[in-house]
Amino acid sequence: MSAPAAQTPSSGPMSRSLAAVGGPLLMIGGELRDIFRMLFLTLYYLFRKPVRWRAVVEQGYEIGNRSLVFVTLVLGFLGMILIYQSAYQAQQIVGDLQLLGALFLQLLFREFAPTITALMIATRVGTGIAAEVGSMVVTEQVDALRMNNADPIQYLVVPRFVAGLVMTVVLSVFAVVVCFLAGMFVADRLFDVSPTTFFNTTLLTWGDLIAFLMKAFAYGIAVPVISAHAGLSAFGGSEGVGAATTKAVVNCSLAVVFLDFLLSGFAFVFLF
Amino acid sequence: MIEFLKVRKSFGEKHVLRGVDLTVKAGEIMFIIGSSGAGKSVLVKHLVGLLRPDGGNIILDGKDITYLSERDFYDVRKRCAMVFQNSTLFDSMTLLDNVALPIRKHFSVSLEEARRRAVEKLALVGMEGQADRYPADFGDGMRKKVAIARALTLDPQFVIFDEPTTGIDPISAAIVDNLIRDLSVNLGVTSIVVSHDLRSIFGVADRIAMLYQGLFILDGPPQLYRETDHPIVRQFIDGQPDGPMEV
Repeated sequence: MSAPAAQTPSSGPMSRSLAAVGGPLLMIGGELRDIFRMLFLTLYYLFRKPVRWRAVVEQGYEIGNRSLVFVTLVLGFLGMILIYQSAYQAQQIVGDLQLLGALFLQLLFREFAPTITALMIATRVGTGIAAEVGSMVVTEQVDALRMNNADPIQYLVVPRFVAGLVMTVVLSVFAVVVCFLAGMFVADRLFDVSPTTFFNTTLLTWGDLIAFLMKAFAYGIAVPVISAHAGLSAFGGSEGVGAATTKAVVNCSLAVVFLDFLLSGFAFVFLF
Repeated sequence: MIEFLKVRKSFGEKHVLRGVDLTVKAGEIMFIIGSSGAGKSVLVKHLVGLLRPDGGNIILDGKDITYLSERDFYDVRKRCAMVFQNSTLFDSMTLLDNVALPIRKHFSVSLEEARRRAVEKLALVGMEGQADRYPADFGDGMRKKVAIARALTLDPQFVIFDEPTTGIDPISAAIVDNLIRDLSVNLGVTSIVVSHDLRSIFGVADRIAMLYQGLFILDGPPQLYRETDHPIVRQFIDGQPDGPMEV
């Protein structure tokens, strides 16, 4: 009869509890380190090596133009819903809707337009980048690039980074316009707030514009880098590409919300 | 000469290579065989730095290349080309530009010069007449031939072929086999071929090594494989579904 196995130090309940907490923390730490390393290398290649401008234009078309319908529909409906709900509640409390447009515009610049746009870009574009790059990894095209002296970050990530950054800002501006016009339509039709009353920029400050640009730039940096990182870390076959896509949308969404929290706090302290 | 010394590689809990030793002599056509997932492709990717080992050493012509940086591996990749399993041609480029890409990336030559040299390599595989067409216009066999032409653009000393005849018709496979043989005989190129195509293995190989559970279990000329009584090798060569081999 064999002797019972001796309990190793790592098999105790305390060790298991520590491992259960430490394991995911180490994994998150490793992911963050890799993402920041990729960001650093992307910036290095952007400023020190030739950029494939044709690929930037192609990616810009893919990220920007092909997101227009999606952004228009979502922000349009969101603008109508937001104005309907806020006007209805304001009517219950104060009954005066003179500042409805001014407050809505401020809200769009400070928060909704860049953040909702970035979440939509994370969903539509982030998954696309992760799937495309991930497919290239599992079909060995990334290995082929490396064999041909072409760094995958310079070749694949930099064009998506530049296009993503520019298009996030452009789409955020577009989102402000669409959302505001949709809100203006509802305010006019349902609450008798005329467009001239609704279009009121008196509450808008430079601080709002700076906060808007800061957020749009931060999201524009985060989404392409995190998505490309998810794609480049894909492994296995189509299952690996699926996992990379899911990872991209989850990580991008978390990053957008976390950056929003940080930048809103910063803006509240220093800008508003 | 290429030497793998006690090379180990794991992916998580899966130990793919458990201390592999292998020597490939200059000008030799070395076939690495084994069942799917045995780690054949993993092993050869270490030679060009596409994967890094957890332990052991890789020696190329007397120089330890195990821990070179990515940048330093560019020089190794000029001497040692690789033909991938999926051909990995870039769909947005013509065949000519696919083949010219390594020249343009590794050397500062004009586009015209790179294309001129690319046409010469396409002619080696009989594809020079199709140079301006795109990879999507062709089947696997043709794409594989173009991938071989691309691998040859830098006149490498060593070429790794990862399952070069898998998924292509028998005639294209025979053409690929002849190319591998010609490279060795006419140009003295050392080839490492990952394959489980028995016709290729016994038609082209100078030497065969079989990888099983992370180690080589038999290494020798094709004749040895025809005559061996090793039960696992026998099962693999005879294609028997039942036997001692754990798949």
